[in-house]
Amino acid sequence: MSVSKAPLDFAFAFSAMACPCEIRIGGLPLEGARHAADIAINEVRRIERKYSRYLSDSTIGVINATAIDAPVRVDSETAHLLDFAAKLFVSSDGLFDCTSGLLRRAWDFRAAQLPSAEIIEQLLPRVGWQHVQWDGASFAFTRAGMELDLGGFGKEYAVDRATTLLESYGVAHALVNLGGDVRALGAQIDGAPWDIGIRDPRAPEGSDALCFASLPLARGALATSGNYERFIEVDGVRYCHILNPKTGWPVNHWHSVSVLAPACVLAGALSTIAMLKGEHATQFLEEEGVAFLLCDARGTVTQRSVYAVTVKSIR
Amino acid sequence: MESEGAVVAVTKRNTLSASSLEMPIKRVGAITLAALALPGVMTTVTHAENPPEEGIVTLRYQAYKDSQPGLDRIKVNAPSLYLSAPVAGVWSIEASVVQDNISGATPRWHTNISGASQMADRRLAGDVKVTRYFDRAAVGLRVAHSDENDYRSKAFAIDGRFSSTDNNTTWMGGIGITRDVINPVNELVIDERKNTSEFLLGVTQALSKNDLAQLVLTHTRGRGYYSDPYKLADERPRQRNQSIALARWNHFIEGNDTTLRGSYRYYRDTFGVRAHTAQLEWVVPVSERFIVTPTARYYTQRAASFYFDPIYDPIVGEPFPVGNPKFYSADPRLSSYGAITLGGKFEWRINRQWSVDAKYEAYEQRSAWRLGGSGSFGLAPFRAQFVQLGVSWRF
Repeated sequence: MSVSKAPLDFAFAFSAMACPCEIRIGGLPLEGARHAADIAINEVRRIERKYSRYLSDSTIGVINATAIDAPVRVDSETAHLLDFAAKLFVSSDGLFDCTSGLLRRAWDFRAAQLPSAEIIEQLLPRVGWQHVQWDGASFAFTRAGMELDLGGFGKEYAVDRATTLLESYGVAHALVNLGGDVRALGAQIDGAPWDIGIRDPRAPEGSDALCFASLPLARGALATSGNYERFIEVDGVRYCHILNPKTGWPVNHWHSVSVLAPACVLAGALSTIAMLKGEHATQFLEEEGVAFLLCDARGTVTQRSVYAVTVKSIR
Repeated sequence: MESEGAVVAVTKRNTLSASSLEMPIKRVGAITLAALALPGVMTTVTHAENPPEEGIVTLRYQAYKDSQPGLDRIKVNAPSLYLSAPVAGVWSIEASVVQDNISGATPRWHTNISGASQMADRRLAGDVKVTRYFDRAAVGLRVAHSDENDYRSKAFAIDGRFSSTDNNTTWMGGIGITRDVINPVNELVIDERKNTSEFLLGVTQALSKNDLAQLVLTHTRGRGYYSDPYKLADERPRQRNQSIALARWNHFIEGNDTTLRGSYRYYRDTFGVRAHTAQLEWVVPVSERFIVTPTARYYTQRAASFYFDPIYDPIVGEPFPVGNPKFYSADPRLSSYGAITLGGKFEWRINRQWSVDAKYEAYEQRSAWRLGGSGSFGLAPFRAQFVQLGVSWRF
């Protein structure tokens, strides 16, 4: 964790969930800010540890290893998250599916090569929330070889939990940013909102300076899903990491979807579902009553906002 | 029957919280609602111990009437006033006053007693409790006072609660003392004392999103005058230690949004009484504003070791213990019996400020209903009815 002195606040940078992260805290002396940041960072690490799909002894690791033999009884926090996963599956007509992580085996985004239809056909029967048993207390797979992954909203959930802890610690000016999923807790110390940039989805990798929009955020969360985070290009077509669980293939209607919502876990889930909904995203987001900013494959921007979003430039 | 004491009500989920009465003006999507309900995502759900955010005044009227075949016995009318108010965000003050007006015949418990003397009594009782709330803990101090013409009682208690960081577990502990002075009108004894100390330990655990379990252990040590000065041939030990284990389980049924509340209570004391209570309540929100809660309770107890059956002897007359025991009592509350209570509560939340409730319970006690035994001999069935009407105002 490195500390840099900013004019209005202290910024605590760290790395978690395979992302660069930063917590900015204003209105407290350094020691107080550091203590509050430690509490928040510990919470992020707790969630990372508990819901990691790479660790065999994490809650997810245990479920993936044993929930086919017998139902796994889960704790209350996990029960809430699984309830949320079930709700997302139903409300998205099966597009947001926490068992679709298995499809990553077919898609290697480091090699510019499309998977064979056969391997996707082999994986699809093992994907689908309709093949899990979840009664509110115990979780089980009904088909062998399935996998559960709460990564679809785990990072965003960590943003919210960290923010809530900061607030309960008495922090009134903070910005929690975990790999681009952001939540603001009060304005900056001088009363100005935080200025959040949204990356140009078509800017080349590494050119972070290129934001195509910026928006002021004093309270609430912003999450962006885009086809630029991880993708391969084959014959000029971009194949991104957001996969439709029904077809096993990436979506490509939107370049990026940003959602503003009271909580980050909400903004993140809605932006992912909007990516998957394709052309129906606008109607879906309007029904959920959140502000959003969409950028389609041709660079056209659609927005519904209670915030004054500044669209700077579109490449 | 032993009183239930002041046990903390456990509600897994307030099926009808004040906020749910406020319909959102803007239409909010299903995912939004689900996300904001996640624990710790919005600030309001992180605090394990929330000081009350609003004050409440409740006016209640309770009526109790018991009877035995062919004879109406005691009637109790008790108006009460309860007030709870938040103070400075982290404190709350609760106060209550109750006045009992008791009239009717003194207990004619026995099957074949010839007469029952009339009595009238008035009790005035009140208590004040101050609670200080911390992030995941709360500490409360309570002072209580109760006054009758022949019985004065003062009580003092301190209790604390502490929640785990995930809010799934809450521990509680408490200590209380009671100082009673007894001056029966027949002057059988003068300025008799009874002192009790109570110790409480408990834990509440969320087992799943829909299940909440609680275990509370209470131990009371009492020294002093336990006899009934108005009963002939009543001599009880001057020491009574009581132990209670109470297990509760609340289960929220997701399909129909109702809650089942079950509890089991085990009681034992050094008088030799052993008792079991099983209770089931079903909280049914019929609509946004109406809640109906049917209740059933079964109670069974073994008699105190010095209890003697009230047998009327044609020569000796009124019942008297056989032989020359050190302790003896024919108090039917120390006998061996079983009892069933059936009742229900109806609550109507008129709006955010006002709500009214009505509660009715019918109680019947019979020797033959004792579990695993025939119960004490020669006791008439005993019935009681309990009605409560209340009006609450939130501010």
